[in-house]
Amino acid sequence: MGNKKQAKQDGTNGKITRRSFLKLSGAAAVGMWVGNALPDVIWIDEVIAAIPASEGYLLVDTKKCQGCMSCMLACSLVHEGVENLSLARIQVIQNPFQKWPHDLTIEQCRQCVDPACVAACPVHALEANPNYGNVRMVYGERCTGCGECAAACPYTPSRSLVAADERYQNKEKAGKCDLCAKAPYHWYKKGGGPHGKQACIEVCPVKAIKFTKEIPLQEGEAGYKVNLRDEKWASLGYPMD
Amino acid sequence: MNGYMGEILRVDLTHGKIMTIPTRAYEPWVGGHGMGSAIFFDLVKDKTIDGFDPANVVTIMTSPLCGTLVPAGSGRTEVQGIGVQSYPIGWFTRSNFGGRFSTMLKHAGWDGIVIEGRAEGPVWIDIRNRTVQIRNCRPLSLWGTDTWACQERIWNYVAGKGAFGDWLTLDGGGGGKTTQRPAVVAIGPAGENLSRMACLIHDAANSSGQGGFGAVWGSKNLKAISVIGTGSINVHAPKALMEARLRQTNTYAFDLDNRKGRPLSTVFDAPPRPVTLWGTPRGSKRPSEGQRPVACVGCHAGCRGRYESGLGNEAHCAGTAFYSEASSLDIQRRSSDLLNRYGVNAFEAWRGLEYLRVLNKEGVLGPGKKIDFPLTFKNFGSYEFVEQFVKMIAFRNDGHGHKSQTGADLGEGFVRAAEKWGRLEGEEGDLKTGWLNFPYWGLPNHYEPRAELEWGYGTILGDRDINEHCFNTIFWDVLISRFIGGKPRATAEETVKICTEKMIPFQGDHLMMDYGTENMYSEHMAKLVAWHRHYTRFWKQSALLCDFRWPDFINPYALDKVGSTGESEQKFFNAVTGKHFSFLDGIELGRRIWNLDQAIWTLQGRHRDMVHFADYIYQVPYGGPCFMTSRVNGAWEYVNISGRCIDKEKFEEFKTHFYHLEGWDPKTGYPSRSTLRSLNLGTVADELEKNGKLGKG
Ligand code: SF4
Repeated sequence: MGNKKQAKQDGTNGKITRRSFLKLSGAAAVGMWVGNALPDVIWIDEVIAAIPASEGYLLVDTKKCQGCMSCMLACSLVHEGVENLSLARIQVIQNPFQKWPHDLTIEQCRQCVDPACVAACPVHALEANPNYGNVRMVYGERCTGCGECAAACPYTPSRSLVAADERYQNKEKAGKCDLCAKAPYHWYKKGGGPHGKQACIEVCPVKAIKFTKEIPLQEGEAGYKVNLRDEKWASLGYPMD
Repeated sequence: MNGYMGEILRVDLTHGKIMTIPTRAYEPWVGGHGMGSAIFFDLVKDKTIDGFDPANVVTIMTSPLCGTLVPAGSGRTEVQGIGVQSYPIGWFTRSNFGGRFSTMLKHAGWDGIVIEGRAEGPVWIDIRNRTVQIRNCRPLSLWGTDTWACQERIWNYVAGKGAFGDWLTLDGGGGGKTTQRPAVVAIGPAGENLSRMACLIHDAANSSGQGGFGAVWGSKNLKAISVIGTGSINVHAPKALMEARLRQTNTYAFDLDNRKGRPLSTVFDAPPRPVTLWGTPRGSKRPSEGQRPVACVGCHAGCRGRYESGLGNEAHCAGTAFYSEASSLDIQRRSSDLLNRYGVNAFEAWRGLEYLRVLNKEGVLGPGKKIDFPLTFKNFGSYEFVEQFVKMIAFRNDGHGHKSQTGADLGEGFVRAAEKWGRLEGEEGDLKTGWLNFPYWGLPNHYEPRAELEWGYGTILGDRDINEHCFNTIFWDVLISRFIGGKPRATAEETVKICTEKMIPFQGDHLMMDYGTENMYSEHMAKLVAWHRHYTRFWKQSALLCDFRWPDFINPYALDKVGSTGESEQKFFNAVTGKHFSFLDGIELGRRIWNLDQAIWTLQGRHRDMVHFADYIYQVPYGGPCFMTSRVNGAWEYVNISGRCIDKEKFEEFKTHFYHLEGWDPKTGYPSRSTLRSLNLGTVADELEKNGKLGKG
């Protein structure tokens, strides 16, 4: 609710153009600047209505990850009550014959400030949910399984995934990271979402996934793929840089 | 059936037939080894066949825990069948491997794979969800490739035009998408050339090493099995599983912010760190370059690594030790890669190379010597030397592509080769002097049977180097504290109390853990060995908990150092399956499986009189250090068990205690009807009786 209020106060009614925003902030400082000063207002393309920024993001360290895929198993476990790597909203992809660090990547949903998936959904089944810190979320009842969101996602692999969903008589439904906001099998009494606990973070044995409220730098990967290695990690013989 | 996919895939290579077995038919055995033994028993009518016989059946089994969040209980795959490595008989044996194969197999909808027969020419099996095809190796030119190239070719074939990292839509039944590449397990040239020390390799270095299953696959003309799947594994209590996982790792796993105790390699609380022995004997050395730990699916603490140079990716333990005297770390790492690419058993290659060096030093083996052997030993330490050596084993030639009789002999394994070279004869035979350090069933020494009794006894009473580190952590902990410094994780008294308290149904018998010479043939020692056989047969080899992380006996993070074993195993099992299993139920089922295995070995020809170590174990004292728990003037201490042999006659007493404890006929070692009946194995007793091998009692 906080976003709407602020949007009205600053007179933009939640609308601010990319051009004017960049003028204001300077492109290089987008991530930090937005995160600190305007957590609830985002830049958007010229005419699209503003979507309030998510109040939480997942950051990962692809150089630290041990490739155990526990995060993926935890994701489908708390959301679908099953173990299924294909349903995981975070994807760890590996090639054991490659050299470190090119042997592994982690692809998590970026909760984009300017979410193409939200814009693409023809039936408004994918929206920022104000009840859960504006995390971009699929409303299963509304979703027709058309796959527009997955097709629109600019990242590889697409962060939203359409699959048969047992809860809807095996109809195709989109699934995407909601920071565990609506995870029916959540183990924690206060649940998930930006103000709760996220299964992948809790389960990761090497702390290669981190939660932040700060909006990461949106351009490129650097804002989301970060260095979570410290001296303690280095004491096991791993690099910090 | 939570935790299960419902069907086991059955592939008849002779007739090119794909069939299924309902998992429910074998559910009482739970999974992994138990199911594998039971299926083997039913399908292989004549248990006396050789491992290379097309009628040999190889089972590749998962457990209900595979592909779930059970820590160090998700990633293993159990392989069984008649092996070709042990001597004089290729026992029905087992060997499991880690990685992601079992997870993928379950996602594809299968609880296991049963392979029988022999294909006419080289084939591989392509599993995409429920669609299974036996494919000729020719279009991809797979036969002749090393295990890594083979896997990459299959990945590219299955992925088609799909870019690495993007969603791949499976054209197999059931559809679904995945970002993953197929999990492939393959043989290398060693398997193709029927080398008895050939492995199965999955990803860079997960290997099913013991038993020579690589050669068994080679004899079946089976190059690889590839599996990719997108289905769900049902879990009985998802919340409870998540809670149990977090509680287990938060309470008992390593904590970098609060480090406690010595970080050993084979404990639940081990940190995520590659277990590599490169650089020994001067002390192990990790490469000083960028790297990460690498874990099997679901594991909380990986034990392998991947490196900036890519050298030695995922290599582990013995696979990193076998050429540890090489002149550089890079050569050692490349030698690990050779083993994995050619698919060669590290332990046999390691001990075998030690043996060849002794014979060379004694002037009997080498180019132009009595045993004309094409390796130039003055080049020992170089890459060229080790490459030629591994290729000799894999290709059974001189390692350079030319015929060589001694190269061909190596493919038979070192004990058979030594026998052929006349080295086992007479009073100074190499198994009498111990030059050939292969103490049990023609298999290489791992941990010393004269000192680490549960290891040696467990192996000779079974089928293979047990490679179960449950009590072996004591050896390492105390050894490191004596030679490097620091205190062991627990005092000897604490160790004995904590471990024996958990060893139901024998709990509280402290003497089970007295490794001293006075106690080494006692009923108490028989109980230790029996408990170990039963625990591992079920919890490690059927439920498929990882040997490197379970059991959790002594744990510095736990209250009073009392680890979670006995509390946690069944909690995870029940959360996944919805069964009401107790820890003791697991031990009892382990006993049932162990009895079935003993019945199979009996049918293969085992008799009590055969159950003996190589002669040097009785004649040559063990010279190295080994600190284990024992009583000194009534008080528990870590005692150096050095300088002793096993007494051959007293070992007979031990066997009698053991057979009595198991309810087997002490005269023959054959299982008795009453014991088998009490385990609901009446049909097994009938089969033994039919073959004149039912024990009395
Ligand atoms: S749980 Fe952590 S270490 Fe394991 S794959 Fe996920 S990010 Fe990597």
